[in-house]
Amino acid sequence: MGNAQDLRGETLAEMLASRGIGRRSLLKFAIAMATSLALPPAIAPLMAANLAKAKRRSVIWLSFQECTGCVETLLRATSPTIDQLIFDFISLDYQEVLMAAAGASAEKSLRDAIAANTGEYLLAIDGSIPTRDSGVYSLTGGRSNLAMLEDIARDAKAILAIGTCAAFGGIPKAFPNPTGAVGVEDLVSDKLIVNIPGCPPVPEVLSGVLAYFISFGRLPDLDARKRPLAYFGATIHDQCYRRAFYDQGKFAKTFDDEGARQGWCLFELGCKGPTTHNACASLRWNNGTSFPIQSGHGCIGCSQPDFWDAGSFYTSLAGGVATGWRNAGIAAAVGLAGGAAAALTARSKTPRPPKDKP
Amino acid sequence: MKTLESRGHDGVVDALLVEVADLLARLIETHEEGAIDLLGLPLSPECVAELDRRLGVGEVEIKIDASGLSQIRETGFSGVWWTQHVDEAGRVIARLIEVAMAPRMVLADVEDIKRGRQKLLAARKNAGGSAP
Repeated sequence: MGNAQDLRGETLAEMLASRGIGRRSLLKFAIAMATSLALPPAIAPLMAANLAKAKRRSVIWLSFQECTGCVETLLRATSPTIDQLIFDFISLDYQEVLMAAAGASAEKSLRDAIAANTGEYLLAIDGSIPTRDSGVYSLTGGRSNLAMLEDIARDAKAILAIGTCAAFGGIPKAFPNPTGAVGVEDLVSDKLIVNIPGCPPVPEVLSGVLAYFISFGRLPDLDARKRPLAYFGATIHDQCYRRAFYDQGKFAKTFDDEGARQGWCLFELGCKGPTTHNACASLRWNNGTSFPIQSGHGCIGCSQPDFWDAGSFYTSLAGGVATGWRNAGIAAAVGLAGGAAAALTARSKTPRPPKDKP
Repeated sequence: MKTLESRGHDGVVDALLVEVADLLARLIETHEEGAIDLLGLPLSPECVAELDRRLGVGEVEIKIDASGLSQIRETGFSGVWWTQHVDEAGRVIARLIEVAMAPRMVLADVEDIKRGRQKLLAARKNAGGSAP
């Protein structure tokens, strides 16, 4: 950010060269991206050549009803991989969390970026959009997220809905959804939208989508839920290294039994891998170190629509109709009331201590 | 006696070797390069090892240090290269069988060469030498 406007004419190859990074690194990145995006390897030299010539592209990033976890995941890389250079290469013209500007000067930056890149900027959004009561539950500078989306989406080339909240409503949309939260695609129907769900999303997916867009000037193939097919085409279950244990019928029954110690399948402990589409099992987290199942916990399905209302994280998918949080909430309320009644009963039966005699 | 699993490996490896032979034919006839993305295929580690064993080892081995280590090894079949790219974090980001006179990544890029020449001339000038 910062001096991005001054560098608008710089190509990616020039930027890399200024950092002592040659074309081989760019070709290597293109080879890895082709693999990651399930493209034929032969396309890598063309992709590298296009990337080398590419100029900075304006990205306007709006954070709506969110926790900032999506931004954090993109910032917390531990090594300066070329993926991060792709993030450096975009001109992030507006991002409330990261930008130094505030107040009127921030709003001016936004207006200037829109005016200078009309019809060409990418609009990135994290967070859901509250719609109840005209969207009054989340405002920036006095404007509702709803009004900002309507206004800024109009001149965008495409929209990247980053994280499950922006893609499908996420946790803010969970029952009872007091703010009427929805995802971007529920409100915008006339723009190209790419959903990159996950709570948070895998950062390499975003860098892959950006690299594809910068290379070819269009978005990668998407599935029916507008997710990049290359990253969301398979379920976690299909990519899981514990899949062989599922096929053999070997399941951990508790988190500390012998099966768990042997690394058996976590299906019976509530793993949502069979119904969850994401790239965690192949790309993994923290520079490919691990992912939840590798750490001994089942997938919670965080990249799926309505995952928070889809039942307990610890109820097996095979367990018939899973206990939803709605039912769990009622059960908790009943339990609380029952507990209070029992306490009162117990209290009434408890002999009171004798009063001190004067 | 071979197990059912090892016979399955043989089938996949055979199919890949046929594809390599087809890519070689294309390289001979049209000079068109080709590659097979091994990370993109659902291959078990045993299958990859078997493929590696059957392709064998050739005369050339190259290491490239560019945003992580890349290892390129000629197989026992001329024009067929086993390539593995690792990023700075040590993660394997691509594994390919390349069919080419030489893998593209080995060749120096024209723009890098131009920049290198300028750098060389500047260094020589700074050291007090005259331009060639």
